Amino acid sequence: MKVEKTQIPVVARPKSLQLNDTRVFVVTKDNFEEFQEEFTELYGEFAFVALSMKDYENLALNIADIKRFLEQQNEIILYYEKAVTEEPKE
Amino acid sequence: MIKLYGIIILVAILGGVGYGAKYYYDTTQNTIAQLRENNSQLEVAVQTANESVETLQGDIAKMASLNRNLQEDLQKAEAYSDELRGKLSRLDLVVEALKNAKLLEGKMNGATANLWRDFMVDTGNSNEYPLPNWLQQSPTGAGNQNSSEGGKNSDTSGSTTEVTPTQ
Repeated sequence: MKVEKTQIPVVARPKSLQLNDTRVFVVTKDNFEEFQEEFTELYGEFAFVALSMKDYENLALNIADIKRFLEQQNEIILYYEKAVTEEPKE
Repeated sequence: MIKLYGIIILVAILGGVGYGAKYYYDTTQNTIAQLRENNSQLEVAVQTANESVETLQGDIAKMASLNRNLQEDLQKAEAYSDELRGKLSRLDLVVEALKNAKLLEGKMNGATANLWRDFMVDTGNSNEYPLPNWLQQSPTGAGNQNSSEGGKNSDTSGSTTEVTPTQ
């Protein structure tokens, strides 16, 4: 009996991420006026998206979980790539 | 006359013996050749089987090692999430914001900037991206504390902007 291995080519990875920076402002009643002034100076109009601290936490945790999934998925792909790649014989 | 018959019988007997010997010799030689061929085929079969066993044993060892490494790496990938969860459970962001909004803002922006960069590195983007200018010019002045998303400080102007490492 001879063991025949199926040759599976390792394919190229998808294009890497190219992310944009995002800025958050922490606003309380004490710095609201300062924020309004700075924000209007920066962006012209005083219109923004607000998140409660709890929602910010949830957003951070969600992104952390996506990061965890991405890293684990990467590790699993690496595992399969190594598994189908013949190591050079000494 | 009897002598002649005796000679004929003797020659016949000798001829029979000679033929029998020749037949025996030929048959034996054929059998030896067949056995030799079978033997060489069996040797090849044994060699193939041994090589297959070695290959399978090598594969089993390789897969066991890969599996072990994979489990470790999967575990490591949980670290960032666990660390963040721990920090968020220890910190009350509302209290932190009321204490020093700018400090918290710097930490959040730093952590976010580093998170995006880690995402890019994780997906194979090896370019260096400078921190955004609002991080480099963060106007607050406090110590190098852990951010809500944890990590190293990378301010460039004496500010408290914190930048999060990931793994």
